[in-house]
Amino acid sequence: MSFYDYANLTGNDAMQYLRAAGVTLYITLMSLLIGTILGVVLGLIRCSKNKVISILPLILIEPLRNSPLVTQLFLIFYGLPIIGGIMLDPFPAAILALSLNTAAFMAVLVHNSVSAIPQGQWEAGLALGHSRGSTFIHVISRQALRLLVPQAITLYISQLQCSSLVALIGIMDLTKLGQNLALRTLKPFLIYGIVFLIYYVISSPLSRLAKSLEKKLSFHY
Amino acid sequence: MSMIEVKNVTKSFGDLTVLKDFSVDFNQEGVTVLLGPSGTGKSTLLRCINGLETIDGGDIIVNGLSVKEKKNLRQIRLDCGMVFQRTVLFPHLNVMQNLTMSPIKLLKMNKKEAEEKAVLYLKKVGLESKAKAMHNELSGGEQQRIAIARALMMNPKALLLDEVTSALDPEMTSEVLKILETLAQEGVCMLCVTHEMQFAKHVASRIIFMDKGIAAADETAENFFSVVRKENERIAKFLQFIGE
Repeated sequence: MSFYDYANLTGNDAMQYLRAAGVTLYITLMSLLIGTILGVVLGLIRCSKNKVISILPLILIEPLRNSPLVTQLFLIFYGLPIIGGIMLDPFPAAILALSLNTAAFMAVLVHNSVSAIPQGQWEAGLALGHSRGSTFIHVISRQALRLLVPQAITLYISQLQCSSLVALIGIMDLTKLGQNLALRTLKPFLIYGIVFLIYYVISSPLSRLAKSLEKKLSFHY
Repeated sequence: MSMIEVKNVTKSFGDLTVLKDFSVDFNQEGVTVLLGPSGTGKSTLLRCINGLETIDGGDIIVNGLSVKEKKNLRQIRLDCGMVFQRTVLFPHLNVMQNLTMSPIKLLKMNKKEAEEKAVLYLKKVGLESKAKAMHNELSGGEQQRIAIARALMMNPKALLLDEVTSALDPEMTSEVLKILETLAQEGVCMLCVTHEMQFAKHVASRIIFMDKGIAAADETAENFFSVVRKENERIAKFLQFIGE
C-alpha cells in the first residue's frame, strides 16, 4: 500500500499544501512588513522626550497588546462592517489584523531597545557635538538595533504561528487546509503532522538565526 | 573676553541647590582644577558649561555664545570637549572608529585624514597598537585615554575633565594623569574636577575650591597650597581629610 493510499491523499493535495504554505507565508510576510514599519514609527514616537507625544502610541499599543489576536481579527472582519460599514475581504482583514498586532509588539521592542541604551551613551554623543538626532542615528540606533534584531525575529516566529488564526475567517492557509484534509481523509494525526512539519521547517531556521544573531551582536557596556 | 564666563549661575535638583549665584571666568590657558567635597557642584558646573544640564538662573557664555540658546549648544560642545568619570566609549565601534566617527560626521573630515589624525592621538596616549580593539578588550585606564583622545580629535579649545581617574585603580590613574600632564605641557587648556592632589599641585595653574555651591577660594595653585590652606580652616580640613 502506497503512502497516498494509506493517507488517502492525492497528488493534488500536495499542491494544495504548497499553495496553502504560500498563503501562510504571504499573509505573514505582508503583515510583518507593514507591522514592522508601523511598529518602528510608533516605537520611535514612544521614545520622544515630550511626555505627551510619547504616550500617544499607547492608545493603539495597549489595547492590541492586551487582547487576543483572534478577537482583533474578528473585530476587523465582523465588527468593522457593523461599526463603520467597512467590509473587508478575508485577506485584507487578516493582513490588517496581523499588521496592527505586530506593530504593537514591535513598538514595545523598539522602545525597550532604545531605552536600554545607557544615558551615558547619549551624553557622550552630545558632548562630542552631535545633535540629539545625530546621536540617535550614529550612536544609539546602532546599539539598539543589536538588541532589537534577535527579539524581532522571535516576534516574527510567533506571528507566523499566530497567522494560523486566519483560518477562522475562511482563508485557505496551512491550518485551514489541514482542517479540510483531516475531515476528508479522517487521518488528523498524519495531516496535522504534515502541517506541523511545514510550520517547523519555516520557523526553525528563524529560531536558529535569532540565537546566532543574539550571540554575534551581543556586547557589554 | 574670557573663553568661558559663568555669570551668577544657579542650579538646583529638586530642593537641593547645587550652584548658588556662582560666577567665575576661565581663559583659554593653563589647567584649572576644581576642588572640593562631593556634592558641592563641581561636576554640575562642568555639565552646565557643556549644556548637558540646563541652568535655573544666570548665564554661561562660551566664546560669546550663551548655553541658554539651544542653537548654540553644538558649537559650545565642539569648543569644549568633555571626558566623563565613567568611560563611555561607543561599544559598537572599535577604537579607531570611536575616534574617527565624529570628525567624519560633524567636521566633514575625510576618512583617511581622520584616521591619520587618530593615529597621531593614539600615539600621544600610548595606544597606537589598540586601533582595532573593541572597548571590552581595553583596561579602564586605556578606555579613559581613548576617551581623552576622542575628545581631542574634535579640536576643542578647552577640555572639561570630570573626575576622569576616580573609577580607576592607582596604576591606571597614573597612566591617565601622565597623559594629562603631557597635554598640559603642550598647552591644552583644561578644566578638571579631580581629587588627585599631586596632579593639582604639579600641573594646575589655578585652583578653585568649591564648597556648598560657591567658590570658597579661587587662587593660583602655588598660593592655594602654600598660603590659602593655612588661612582657610575649611580648606585645611578638606586637604587634611584627603591625605594631602
